[in-house]
Amino acid sequence: MSNNRLVDVKNLSVHFPVHGGVISKRVATVKAVDGISFSIDRKQIVGMVGESGCGKTTVGRAMINILRHVSPDVEIGGSIEYHFGDEIVDFTKLSSGQVRKYRSRIQMIFQDPYASLNPRMTVAQIISEPLQLHTKMNGKEQMDRVAWLLDKVGLQPEQARRYPHEFSGGQRQRVGIARALATNPDLIICDEPVSALDVSIQAQVINLMMDLQAEFDVSYLFIAHDLSVVEHISDKIAVMYLGDMAEYGNADEVYHHPRHPYSQALLSAVPLPDPSRKNRKRIVLKGDVPTPLNKPSGCAFRTRCPIAQTSCAETKPVFEEHAAGHFVACPIVKGKNKTDLH
Amino acid sequence: MAEQKEISLSILKKRWLKFKTLKRGYYSFVILIILYGLSWFLPLLINNRALVVSYEGELFFPVISGYHAGSEFGQDVPGETIYRELKTSWKQEGSENWLLMPPYPYSPYEDITVQGNKMYEAPSDSHWLGTDNTGRDVFARLCYAFNISISFALVLTILNYIIGVIIGGSMGYFGGKFDLFFQRLIEIWSSLPMLFVIIIISSIIRPSFFLLIFIYTIVNWIGMTYLMRAEFYREKSKDYVAAALSMGQTNFKVMFKHILPNSLVPVITYFPFAVVGGISALVGLDYLGFGMPPPTPSWGQMLDVGLQNISKWWMVFAPVSAQFVTLIMVVFIGEAVREAFDPKVYSRLR
Repeated sequence: MSNNRLVDVKNLSVHFPVHGGVISKRVATVKAVDGISFSIDRKQIVGMVGESGCGKTTVGRAMINILRHVSPDVEIGGSIEYHFGDEIVDFTKLSSGQVRKYRSRIQMIFQDPYASLNPRMTVAQIISEPLQLHTKMNGKEQMDRVAWLLDKVGLQPEQARRYPHEFSGGQRQRVGIARALATNPDLIICDEPVSALDVSIQAQVINLMMDLQAEFDVSYLFIAHDLSVVEHISDKIAVMYLGDMAEYGNADEVYHHPRHPYSQALLSAVPLPDPSRKNRKRIVLKGDVPTPLNKPSGCAFRTRCPIAQTSCAETKPVFEEHAAGHFVACPIVKGKNKTDLH
Repeated sequence: MAEQKEISLSILKKRWLKFKTLKRGYYSFVILIILYGLSWFLPLLINNRALVVSYEGELFFPVISGYHAGSEFGQDVPGETIYRELKTSWKQEGSENWLLMPPYPYSPYEDITVQGNKMYEAPSDSHWLGTDNTGRDVFARLCYAFNISISFALVLTILNYIIGVIIGGSMGYFGGKFDLFFQRLIEIWSSLPMLFVIIIISSIIRPSFFLLIFIYTIVNWIGMTYLMRAEFYREKSKDYVAAALSMGQTNFKVMFKHILPNSLVPVITYFPFAVVGGISALVGLDYLGFGMPPPTPSWGQMLDVGLQNISKWWMVFAPVSAQFVTLIMVVFIGEAVREAFDPKVYSRLR
């Protein structure tokens, strides 16, 4: 098991300082990610779900080490250990120059297919850019590889000379997938890759990604807010709430027998295309997600939790294994029977 | 395949095609390019030195070789040959020697010290726009000044752009303390009274073309930094930049290969107006007498002299209308460029 491990995220925290006042002193901290741990094995798809603003995207960007680019003063704690062969590399400890040589092993697919492709470059230029950086291919070999990749993602190789604005959203996302696959990476971080697409196109792209995962032997960290999509594609599911990990376990287990009250509420909200089940128990949470600027004490979810107790406000719940491979951050549900939602 | 090429145009190419349809700006552009191109060959077109002289079986090229004393060609004048008179005298004599003058045989520098030149001559067939207070041909000076004005404005604008893009782009891209430092520096710098600085420097050191460009660049690079800072600041948060970084592209490449091509809209649309600014700046300095050293032909100096002799209408009319026509053509270009880059019209009429 352990030699099959690709990445171990241990106690990862990402804090953005907020400056204010005349002399720009630090007035607050946005705790976008506040100590989460999970791991991804080779050829595994880990789904990550949560409401918007819960830190999913930040986790993805921290794992690919591009947070510092937009926010130079971000504070990243914990460790992100990649296992490349015998080498163990902690991305949080490396400088941007040191990270560069590992860039080809981890790629990213972005949420917005309109913004993630440079409008001034042709598709061939976009897809061949990682090849120029990380391989010694000459121009001809690069173009062959681009044509081959375009074929793999279901586009015509002749379309390589076109510009992104000549493609539809789904086609652009395929270009983004081809770019991510260009260097045969070990891990692709998919940051809500289908959220911006039509439902009919979503299914095509998801199935394409699953086919490619099997063919390229790549792992995915699949970030999404659509639970049914995540359940369909993932081997494991991680549920996040306000920068904390609420629950982490096998996809089947988490989807059908969620233990954390937040996961239960989230899953009860998934629309089911089955009228016979329309009377299932629907858990409706009250209120809004609190701001990460001022998180509630103890358990961050306690302000909306249907089973909250006074003790929840005192200590932050331990993220512990409730069943084999099933981690939950709620002491209240520990030892209780499994709930069956579906 | 040809069809394929036609479909896949980069955004810039589309804008160029759109620009071509805006006749007023496009023709102004073509005319200015041709005129400016021609102005580099002015010594061959407007000059008092002959293009070719054939004297006693030998060929001379005074335009290229420069000074030839009158005695060399058997002309009895002190100093340099007066080729116009040489030509007429040889013609009258029916001599075998011949020479070929440029189409407009007057130089912008020859004044009344040259035999046969008069002050304040009204426009005529030989002097199309008359002569000025020192007997220099106004039309010749006008044309040479055109070349100097446009060259000055272009070199100045391009230099400003290079510095402005690099500094402004870095401010927007790197942000943080670098941005803060340069913002404060620019605020201090831009509050200096630059016209006085230029006047003081010009009164100490004798100004030249490149010194003036240098002084103006020190002042003017600031304008571009604001625009580029904002552009880079906005573009760097877009996903294609994150994608480039996540595949390991260097900061330099990200800035100039990815962000800059997407930040060119203000650069290009602002360019013609910056050129207008450059031309006007030189005219202003020359008018005040702190510009190019005399006797360099310049519109500002001609305007100054013309206003002192306001009754000689051609001396005022010539520089004013030359400036007017040049500036309005550049503005037409600027307007057409702006319209070609307007996303609204672009998306609707595409």
